[in-house]
Amino acid sequence: MADDMLLVAGSWAAAMLRSSTPLMMVTLGETLTQRVGIVNLGVEGQMLCGACVGFAVAAQSGSPALGLAAGAIAGLLLALIHGVLCLGCGANQIGSGIAVWTLGLGLTSYFGRSAVGGKVSGLSPLAGPGFADLPFAGPILSQLTPIAPLAIIIVLAAGFWLYRTRTGLNWRIVGESFQTARALGIRPTIVQAQGILAGGLLSGFAGAILSVDYTQTWANEMTKGRGFVAVGLVIVARWNPYLVLPVVLLFGLSEAATLRLQATGLTLSPYLIACLPYVVCLLCVVIVSIREGRIGGMPAELISVFGRRG
Amino acid sequence: MSDAGKIRLVATLGGGAAFLLAASIFLIAIGRPPLTTLGQMALYGFGDGYSLSESLVKATPILLCALAVILPARLGLISVGGEGQMYFGALTGTAIVVWFPNGPIFLLLPTMLVAGALGGAVWSGAAGLLRARCNVNETISTLLMNYIAVLLVSYAIYGAWKDPASLGWPASMAFPKAATVPSMFGTRVHVGLVAGIIAALMLHIGVTYTRWGIGLKVLSGNRKVGAMVGFSFVRQTLLVMAIGGALAGFAGICETSAIQGRLQAGLSVGYGLTGFLVAWLSGQHFLRAVPIAILIGGLIAAGDALQLYSKIPSASATILQGLLFVAALGVSGLASRRSARHG
Repeated sequence: MADDMLLVAGSWAAAMLRSSTPLMMVTLGETLTQRVGIVNLGVEGQMLCGACVGFAVAAQSGSPALGLAAGAIAGLLLALIHGVLCLGCGANQIGSGIAVWTLGLGLTSYFGRSAVGGKVSGLSPLAGPGFADLPFAGPILSQLTPIAPLAIIIVLAAGFWLYRTRTGLNWRIVGESFQTARALGIRPTIVQAQGILAGGLLSGFAGAILSVDYTQTWANEMTKGRGFVAVGLVIVARWNPYLVLPVVLLFGLSEAATLRLQATGLTLSPYLIACLPYVVCLLCVVIVSIREGRIGGMPAELISVFGRRG
Repeated sequence: MSDAGKIRLVATLGGGAAFLLAASIFLIAIGRPPLTTLGQMALYGFGDGYSLSESLVKATPILLCALAVILPARLGLISVGGEGQMYFGALTGTAIVVWFPNGPIFLLLPTMLVAGALGGAVWSGAAGLLRARCNVNETISTLLMNYIAVLLVSYAIYGAWKDPASLGWPASMAFPKAATVPSMFGTRVHVGLVAGIIAALMLHIGVTYTRWGIGLKVLSGNRKVGAMVGFSFVRQTLLVMAIGGALAGFAGICETSAIQGRLQAGLSVGYGLTGFLVAWLSGQHFLRAVPIAILIGGLIAAGDALQLYSKIPSASATILQGLLFVAALGVSGLASRRSARHG
């Protein structure tokens, strides 16, 4: 009996981790970008590009790892446009983000046509089916691929890097005040470019995880607003990489819960259930916005671009 | 010519040139002759009466969604919710038709349109309320609400409102004649276009020549001074978001009634997003949004025609839109930065 419970708990944990891994990476990417004072709404398009290119490369080469890497690079290239527009041309960041999103949407639905409905084989699980009967750890080992633990390590490493290293400190200074950064001999524009590119790399990676590892297929607009949810969750996580982890896992838990509720034969429309992630994200942002009052944990240089608050 | 006028001219010409260059590169990359294809697009967009009317059909929801972005922008708000407001307006408008399918035209048609506008106003006003009362960033709330509204429409057409006569196709009942927005000149162009142009005109007069317009300007610059002259940020935020949402909701129910003939999932092909692009290309100017919306409507209509006649997927129109927006943003950013340095 207790073993059964542990088995169920383990399979819940595995489902939660699997569904939250893409969101974890894109939220971390947007967190890092916003830490240097840049808002990038193009993450939705970057994720789409990562998913599309990652899927195509994985299908062609037969190597999911290669697909994941290609997806990350695709996200990086699209983010480059955001960087050139915002930093090179001084364009409005919200407008530029929407432009990048439009491009990502158009490019992937154009070039992804032939791949729609295809299948790839993702990474192999951490352990073979022989381990499936172990209490708790069994389902986790047999259902999870190395991507979820890798993502957690990346988040923890990013947090450590941001708060504990010299370059991380530079990034935080740029996000708080360009003037101070310049006075200290940091070149804010270079750091901002790095922030945008890091976000692009991670959002492309997130997209590739979605198509290559999680769903193992490609469909038009398959990210379904996960990029925008990530922009909302950055606020909930208060621009802190460490907090990205619990916030996104909570999110994955709700997604896993809705999938499992449906499986139990609950007669609720799948379309209403599909609203849940957006509603939950919105509620979280509302609660944090009320509690945090005027500025919250927002990097000061973001205030000028992200709407005056209070 | 004024400095602002010069910047605008440089940005328009330069942006246009940069777009043509980028579009040509894209067309070459997909193996199409750039000049011929662009020429074909111009022809398919505006070449004859039929093409022009189809372009105006596409321009109608785009214009209304652009107005729904420009008005909040006058208060410094960035609403990205045109798509969701269209869907929610279509939903509330359709509710009237589904509940009273046999109403007389003089009652059913106006009630349906008002319900659609009200639905859009509520959807957008909710984001306005969250912004004004709880400091919730309106860009994020409107983006998330887009997805919710689309899902709510799916819920309705796969569920309670699904027409058994539609043989499994997820859609509401077909709209009766008494609930069909009238079209004009024997084309598919409907009165929504006229409404959009009148709205643009009235909003332009409203923000340029009235006390209210001055109030919005003062508020967007300094909230305290705005309060001193009697303009409440909370009330005005609600008002501009709700008016904008009403316009987009109106676009949604018009599109459903006049073009689709029934509520179905693909009622908007990204009109909300395109409206946002138009709003920015127009420099948040109501009147300038009218010709730009028609131009972009032509681009989309041409994209559809290209797919039909030249087998170029219509997604290429989305790519061209993206390129146009990148070119316009980049060049106008450079132009204003240059003038700031020299000014």
